[in-house]
Amino acid sequence: MSTVLEVLQRLGEAVLLFGRAVAAIRLRARDRQRIAAQLARVGSDTLPIAALLALFIGMVLVVQSADQLRDISQSVLGPIVGLAMTKEIGPVMMGFLLAGRVGSAMAAELGAMAVYDELAALRTMDIDPVRFLVMPRLVAATVTMPVLVLYADFVGIAGGALVVAIDPAIDLAVSEYFARLLEWVHLGDILVGLLKGAVFGMVASIVPCAFGLATRGGAEGIASSTTAAVVWSFVLILLFDLVIVRMTFGLT
Amino acid sequence: MAASIHGIAVRLSGLRKAYDGQQVLAGIDLDVPAGALVAIVGQSGQGKSVLLRQVIGLESPDAGSIEVGGIALDRWRALRSEDKPFRIAMVFQNAALLASLTVAENVGLRLAEHGHLSRTALRAEVRRLLAAVDLAGVEDKLPGELSGGMRKRVGIARALASDPELILYDEPTADLDPLLTEQIGLLIARIRCERGATQIIVTHNLALAQLIADRIAVLDAGRIVEYCTPEALRTSTNPLVQDFLRAAALGS
Repeated sequence: MSTVLEVLQRLGEAVLLFGRAVAAIRLRARDRQRIAAQLARVGSDTLPIAALLALFIGMVLVVQSADQLRDISQSVLGPIVGLAMTKEIGPVMMGFLLAGRVGSAMAAELGAMAVYDELAALRTMDIDPVRFLVMPRLVAATVTMPVLVLYADFVGIAGGALVVAIDPAIDLAVSEYFARLLEWVHLGDILVGLLKGAVFGMVASIVPCAFGLATRGGAEGIASSTTAAVVWSFVLILLFDLVIVRMTFGLT
Repeated sequence: MAASIHGIAVRLSGLRKAYDGQQVLAGIDLDVPAGALVAIVGQSGQGKSVLLRQVIGLESPDAGSIEVGGIALDRWRALRSEDKPFRIAMVFQNAALLASLTVAENVGLRLAEHGHLSRTALRAEVRRLLAAVDLAGVEDKLPGELSGGMRKRVGIARALASDPELILYDEPTADLDPLLTEQIGLLIARIRCERGATQIIVTHNLALAQLIADRIAVLDAGRIVEYCTPEALRTSTNPLVQDFLRAAALGS
């Protein structure tokens, strides 16, 4: 029971932290430098693995769908991959990737800073840890995620096209795959995916920061904060996914 | 330098603090004169570090009041950094240097955040501060590359960067060998001579306290049981102080 209350408290703190971090957004030279450093870090930590994930998911989607559709028509493979990647799999997969790879590092780093008095040292220097540490991470994750989603969309669709081109079991021309995909995937679908990306970026950065800042109790505390941050980021990403899907129902 | 605090630099009245029902500070009354070097000694777990964290505002007392330079601590803390009539700095037990920043970035952090120095001037100021603690040529190293004694000195240099009128030291010689302990002790004494800042040192090293302090406060079970000059402490008839002196003599 106390664990449930603790998690609820932490999630409440994440909401307050989000407000404080947004209010702390400044574009002074030093803030821009810190945001740029976080952008580079998020990008370098996620782009290679994002490409790998998206490529294989696109390929698997085509093979799996082709198997199901072999007695009907494989001409819808393009729309299946396009819509799945842009609206759902791309954003959620990138959200999970960001939470697992970058969010976990954020929670562990801020957790270590809390445990080893580095946050206290910042406060004694009149430096707000939210502006100094949380705001650049939030901005970087929120800005990067839509780009990452778009990147994953392209790579996933390309992966599907690759399988269509080389797998003899698939009776579909690559030109037909792209033609039907462009026919079915509209700008609105892509924009919904990008919106999800931005929201998931916020979740996958602010939740780990909240858990990290609240860390107590040495190495064990850092480990449990990191685990909890990733797990609750995943849960909230799925929750916000459902909310956004419902809100955009019928719009695209 | 230290011109903004006159008379009583720090006044603690009836300070109480408990954690999970366990009383750590049980009514502390203490006046620290401006410009004095006061050592707070006591065995481990007597609340020395907790007391220091209250004085700089990292934690709030359950009861009692703290005045610094004649101003209630809460009021001083509420002021914007540039509006504060004087500054307080703290040197943490483990130095609490930001692990991801270089020595130069750690020392110059407050100046970079709140000052208006050019990059060249900031670099020069950092070099001057490091020279003041007898460190040179370590500007580009990371804290993890330094020895314990060097990290403590960098922590002191970082504290001096704000040109503080009150400096708090939490166990500045913990985990150091006798030679380094003496060097840090002499450095603190020199800072007092050169800058005239009020300094409060929390330590369990009675020999160091007797060497450099003007007055020594002995903390036991959350209370100040003696507060006098080093000479008077040696002849104290307080049984708790006699026990502590005897234990300290055995330890040394």
